[in-house]
Amino acid sequence: MTHVSHETDAASAAPPPSLTLDEPVQRRRLADSRPTTLGGRLRETLYYMRGRGALEIGLIYALMLAVFVVWSLVDPLGFPFLSSNNLSGVVTQSVPVLAILAIGVGMLMVTGEFDLSVGFVLSFAGIVFIKLAQSHDWVVAALLTVAVAIAATTANGLIVVYTRIPSFVATLGMSFVWKGAGIAVNGTAPAYLAGADPTFVKTFAGDFGFFRAQILWMILLGVVAFGILQRHRVGNRLYAVGGNAGAAKAVSIKPDRMRMFAYAFLGLCVGLAAILVVARTSTMQPTTTEEYTLLAVAAAVVGGCALDGGRGTVIGMIVGAALIRTTENALILANAPGLYVQAFFGISIVVAAVINKYVEERAQ
Amino acid sequence: MSTLITPPEPTVPTKDATALLELRGVSKDYGPNRVLDDVSFGIGTGEVVGLLGDNGAGKSTLVKIMSGVVSMTSGSWLWRGEALDKVTRPETERRGVETIFQDSALVPSMSITRNIFAGRELTNRAGFLRLREMDAITTDILDSVVSIEGIKSAKQLVSSLSGGQAQAVAIARAVHFKRSLLILDEPTSALAVRATEALLNYLVQLKGEGVSSVLVTHNLHHAFKVCDRHIVMNHGRKILDVRREDTSVEELTAAVVEGAEGVRRYRAGRDLA
Repeated sequence: MTHVSHETDAASAAPPPSLTLDEPVQRRRLADSRPTTLGGRLRETLYYMRGRGALEIGLIYALMLAVFVVWSLVDPLGFPFLSSNNLSGVVTQSVPVLAILAIGVGMLMVTGEFDLSVGFVLSFAGIVFIKLAQSHDWVVAALLTVAVAIAATTANGLIVVYTRIPSFVATLGMSFVWKGAGIAVNGTAPAYLAGADPTFVKTFAGDFGFFRAQILWMILLGVVAFGILQRHRVGNRLYAVGGNAGAAKAVSIKPDRMRMFAYAFLGLCVGLAAILVVARTSTMQPTTTEEYTLLAVAAAVVGGCALDGGRGTVIGMIVGAALIRTTENALILANAPGLYVQAFFGISIVVAAVINKYVEERAQ
Repeated sequence: MSTLITPPEPTVPTKDATALLELRGVSKDYGPNRVLDDVSFGIGTGEVVGLLGDNGAGKSTLVKIMSGVVSMTSGSWLWRGEALDKVTRPETERRGVETIFQDSALVPSMSITRNIFAGRELTNRAGFLRLREMDAITTDILDSVVSIEGIKSAKQLVSSLSGGQAQAVAIARAVHFKRSLLILDEPTSALAVRATEALLNYLVQLKGEGVSSVLVTHNLHHAFKVCDRHIVMNHGRKILDVRREDTSVEELTAAVVEGAEGVRRYRAGRDLA
């Protein structure tokens, strides 16, 4: 008897869709609460930028710059931060190279992968450029160099995608291959670019008084990267793959294809950075460029890229690089011993990772 | 060992002449282990089917095969009576199969808007996102398709949503894109009572719009409430395929816990009484 009543009970509960729970009782419609004024939209955009790194690190960088500027105004001889010698000669040359590398590395980190061979792909590409520029027109040499860098990082990507070993390990191993490749081309001595074409130098390191041409290249690449990562469907899929590869697959996104795109784009960045380094110094070291790898990863992390993927903005990557290079510059101007500069690099990575994690948890 | 108990009704539901999705003789081996053994069933249009079974019964593998994420060792996958040569996720997606896994349906680090349109972005001809339009549509979906409480904006990150809210967003996405078959893998395991209730009611409502669902769950009471038909898996085999009116929670419990033997014992006991 009880059994029968149970069955009818259950049967009557199901069919007519009477939504007794969650009845829309004068629920505020989201559409009505959307901001309509420009100020309101701006406020909303800023509000939802919290916890993605760029906003927070931007504020820290602005504060830091303010301190340096005031310090430099008070004591222009002891701390010549604002001198055109320093701005044009150091800051606006060192920031762009690192920022461009950070954009490439950061975009790859968004998909959840690493490339620890960036430094030696840079030296390999730079050496290739110097060799090519001696026998070819610099435009041809530059294009070929970028192609070589893209081929190198694409090879890294193929290994990661096909073998499924962690990119950390795969690219660490490959870094020795690219180091060896650079040595194979020109030996262990630094390569020199003798008699560089003046147009080439002007294009990639031209002096505009308070800044150098490198800044323009950084802005150009930044705009392109921003367009791809944050405003294009490709970027949306890069984020999806890094944030949750399973969910991405479920909507027919091909994770490996997106990872390969990020590796190839990294090659473009590294190729450009290599050319900028050669344009500035006319030389490329074949064996001591691993610092670039760590600093590029550090800049990306400082700028809010999550180590496990899914998070990162182009503005954040650029500001992260600027913060590292500007602080390095300030430490040197303040005559801090070299040990402090190195220690700062290390501490900034750790602190940035901690802040990153904290900010992310707060945002939830 | 555990043999199929011949159901009193045909495997292919009678609502439709041909099933929306039909699996025929599906087997799956992982190395030497046979995790699915000759499983066949169909899902009709607008039908809600409960897929039940204990851990390791083969439910998850079956779900992955239905949605095309995992390939089968043998058997065929038919959509409206037509067999598909190669069952891949893009193929099943094109036909309208949407799987909502318990916690991996959405990308936590992305906004609700970007999640809803992930892989199906609205773009201009050059591929650039039409963000404002997508935000507006998302706001509309959140307002109309499923009443989700506590969401402030379409720009909110999914990681800031509760389990129930995220689940609701995933379902809202499926509905918006006019999916025809929803496969929900343990959708209620992370939900509060109210959210579960709303979700189950929602499945029934969708049925009225011709959307079929497969509800994979441990919770027999949830399944019994909303499912038109129940399929019970045991050690990789289908042991029961029965319409709601021909079974009871007790019989399903016996099937899940004790397998085919349990059903036989339960039926013998019931007939005696």
